Amino acid sequence: MTEQTLTDHARGDAERHLLLAVDGSENSKRAAMYVADFFGKDQDVYVTIFSIIPEPSEDYFATDEERTSWVGKKQGEMNDILAGYKDILLSAGFKENQIDVRLIVRQCESIGDAIIEEQAKLLSRIVIVGRRGISHNEEFVFGSTSSRILHHAKNCAVMVIE
Amino acid sequence: MLDAKTKNWSYEDVRSLLAKRKGWDRVPKKFKIVTDTTDFFQVEYNDVLILADRLYWIRSYEREGRFGLDDEPKFWVRRAIDLEDGSTKILKMVFHEKFETKIGGVVTRCFRSPKKEGRILDLVANHRNFMHGHWVIDSAGNNVRIIDYIPGRQFHEIVVKYGGDHEDYFFNFFPQVLDQFIELVEAIKFLHDHGEKHGDIRRDHILYDSARKVNRWIDFDYNYMHGESKWSFDLLGLGNLIIFFVGRGDVLVPDLYKTQRELFDSLWGEDLNISYKNRVANLQKIYAYIPDSLNRILLHFSNGAQIFYENTEQMLGDLALAKADVSALTGRGS
Repeated sequence: MTEQTLTDHARGDAERHLLLAVDGSENSKRAAMYVADFFGKDQDVYVTIFSIIPEPSEDYFATDEERTSWVGKKQGEMNDILAGYKDILLSAGFKENQIDVRLIVRQCESIGDAIIEEQAKLLSRIVIVGRRGISHNEEFVFGSTSSRILHHAKNCAVMVIE
Repeated sequence: MLDAKTKNWSYEDVRSLLAKRKGWDRVPKKFKIVTDTTDFFQVEYNDVLILADRLYWIRSYEREGRFGLDDEPKFWVRRAIDLEDGSTKILKMVFHEKFETKIGGVVTRCFRSPKKEGRILDLVANHRNFMHGHWVIDSAGNNVRIIDYIPGRQFHEIVVKYGGDHEDYFFNFFPQVLDQFIELVEAIKFLHDHGEKHGDIRRDHILYDSARKVNRWIDFDYNYMHGESKWSFDLLGLGNLIIFFVGRGDVLVPDLYKTQRELFDSLWGEDLNISYKNRVANLQKIYAYIPDSLNRILLHFSNGAQIFYENTEQMLGDLALAKADVSALTGRGS
């Protein structure tokens, strides 16, 4: 998506624009199914299915080629997953022109913060994410993306799908 | 970083330099001249490694306690004599280790990265709380880090010998230990402020430099695949350190069961360390004179914690409050 179409999209659909932030997990699939079930019959709802591949540090790889190959593989896998989520929405009644799919590769300290930035750019009114149901210890070590969004998102509603 | 090969050294050149530096009687009968460190197992005792036209006489390999094993040899880390000035160096060769570690039941992917350590060596060149050194590229393109040797012992070994008992330690020595710990946390904040993690914060990675009279972080070549919280692993390490320093060692649940049953009975699961379930984090239950402000820091790393530190700044804010209370209680410190 170019900057121009991104801006048009944001301006035109701001009123009923959902940002469905996903990864390849089962909880993201549940979030997509929830959106399909809940909003599938609404002809004036627009959904951006959005995913981020955090750009891994060069430290994780012995060579740049290894790193580039890793990112390319992840992009391929994620594009397939996003296409699957789009099919879920289409089969529930969404039209092609109601759905946008957006995958970005970027450096980010926090995926939650990156999703919030995207919401601000697109002016979407609801951010929808799945919840992993992580353990107390996992939240301690890794942090929780849904908690981050719940605590830091502004000017929008947040739906966390169990 | 300097060019790897600027001069061709003959075997006789190297022997002469060794003799000049150490005397002919110490020149080994057999040794290799090495410029490619790819196979670090082939870099042996008495060999001479040439890096950026400087010669290093290889001595022993370094050891490290890890994974419950004491003194694991680190074959990629060698002690050496710099034949130009006679100083002792630690040479760290490339070892792209990848492994998974389990902390508190959570599996984390870790990596050993020479590039990261080289980058941080450049960053901390003028910071007193880190090891110093530089990095060079060998003849095969490997990043070799050349570290200045630090004379001294691990800080925790010094701390556990302070005081006749815990009360003596806490009232007479801990205020100074706390100051030193705060300085170490500020050093980690310096790294985080520059976007870098230490990656392997644990007590045997703090050396007390007996020459400079200061604690120094060592070994920052680890990185880990972080999730939502980039600094959590480093913060977890700092939490385990402060629990250790407040307790003057680990307060172990099995020891309490054997020797202080009434204290053992007073403990709940939530009082234990989040990453090591056999260690007590809520130390105020063991040592009642620990002030609330200090104990609250420890509870951030307990099984019962509901909120976690997101960054070192938050932890330093709480440490400042604890320092004031410890100072008022003990009459020591600023």
